Amino acid sequence: MMLTESPIRRLDAKAPGLAEELKRDLDIDITRCLECGKCSGGCSYAHGFDYTPRKMVQLIKLEERGKLLRMRALWTCLSCQLCLDRCPSSIDMPRILDYLRGKAYAERLNDVHPEIEKFYEIMLSDIRNNGRISETLMMARFNFATRRYFSNADLGMKLFFKGKLKLFGPKTKNLNSLRALFAKLLFRSPAEQEPS
Amino acid sequence: MAVAFYPGCSHHALAEEYDRSARTICAHLQLELKEVEDWNCCGATAAHSLSPDLSLALNMRNLSQVKKMGLDEVITPCSGCFNRLKVAAHEIEHHPAALQNFAAMAQCELPSQVNVRHLLQFILEQYPSQQIESLVKKPLRGLKLAAYYGCLLTRPAAVVQFDDPEQPVALDGLMRSLGAQTVTWSHKAECCGGGFSASEPGIAGDLGGQILASAKDAGAEAIVAACPLCQMNLDSRQALGCDLPIVYFTQLMGLAFGYGWNEMRFSKLLTSPKPLLSRLGLL
Ligand code: SF4
Ligand code: SF4
Repeated sequence: MMLTESPIRRLDAKAPGLAEELKRDLDIDITRCLECGKCSGGCSYAHGFDYTPRKMVQLIKLEERGKLLRMRALWTCLSCQLCLDRCPSSIDMPRILDYLRGKAYAERLNDVHPEIEKFYEIMLSDIRNNGRISETLMMARFNFATRRYFSNADLGMKLFFKGKLKLFGPKTKNLNSLRALFAKLLFRSPAEQEPS
Repeated sequence: MAVAFYPGCSHHALAEEYDRSARTICAHLQLELKEVEDWNCCGATAAHSLSPDLSLALNMRNLSQVKKMGLDEVITPCSGCFNRLKVAAHEIEHHPAALQNFAAMAQCELPSQVNVRHLLQFILEQYPSQQIESLVKKPLRGLKLAAYYGCLLTRPAAVVQFDDPEQPVALDGLMRSLGAQTVTWSHKAECCGGGFSASEPGIAGDLGGQILASAKDAGAEAIVAACPLCQMNLDSRQALGCDLPIVYFTQLMGLAFGYGWNEMRFSKLLTSPKPLLSRLGLL
């Protein structure tokens, strides 16, 4: 599953197509899709997507890798698992999207929803550093990073008066084991600036 | 009875009332909760979104911590954590080779056969409804609730194996055992979009708003939830003239078992259930 190849596809007959890749890495057989559309009918957020889950299957079959890795729905899928449970062929679309999103992240292809990606990065850096998340600090860092100084200020005040904003909680002690996992499993191709 | 307990990150701050009420009712049920030693965050949406392998590995480590305590079962009150732990346990069983790799990286043993259950599921499967009913001191008569399950508590069905993925009834049944009524409504298993409440509030507002409106239309006077992320998200989306209290099922269990307003930390909820509960004479 490790991403080492270049994002540019070579016209190499031996390079596996996307469908084969999903079979190899996720054990998902996209050819079993019946194109019935039940996934899109059930999808919690199809009304906000550029491509519905059924269309995504079509894009996979058409080898439209570029479109899949750059679509907005890759970042706004809710991972609610409804499409999977409705699918008569048990095509695990949320898992396919996780897989593709991981690649889009590694290859720095997300130019549609940078704030969603930033939020995840901040959360993961908290986990790498402390083993756990402090929601208060995470929100503050996110608002700062995205310059949303006043967004959610009203909610922030309410939580403050409820005594729910706590900066620090207990941390995980054995951070070395976690850092080893992060070092090996969270990839990103090098760029000008790495997330802190 | 003793069981490993995975509290999740929300429990220390944002969902203190859930934590306190959960621990109180478990003690009342003579269930000893042993917090998973040195647990780490499940990675939530962030980990599986950017690296599905990292998500599996983080939760594999949590399960191995459970094993280290000499236990084979872990329960958690958060639907998000529940889902991530459950998926990891499922993968350990079905693709052990890949997970073995992660165990080597984290320098721990691959934990096999750890049973993961949500706190709600555990209570329902472990305690027959007659037993719950026999503990009720103050039946929640007149309380009209919309039982909200959200997405991750029951889906994907093949992995989590709890209740029906789209027409779940477990929480409704538990609330009826406490003497409350539950309404039939359309959005009990819809996703609230809570994962986007900070990064893309428009999505969370859209989906959360639909859930609140649907519960109200169905005649519910409060929503009962079983997840801190859902509770927080719905409770902070009440702008559109909605004022439905979003209470935790553990708080209502405690109330019915005879605990009071303060013990169940009802005042921590953003939308106060006080007017409703006082009107029904439940305080
Ligand atoms: S529900 Fe399954 S079989 Fe039907 S279109 Fe969607 S992926 Fe294909
Ligand atoms: S998991 Fe994503 S694609 Fe599937 S139903 Fe939910 S929002 Fe739609």
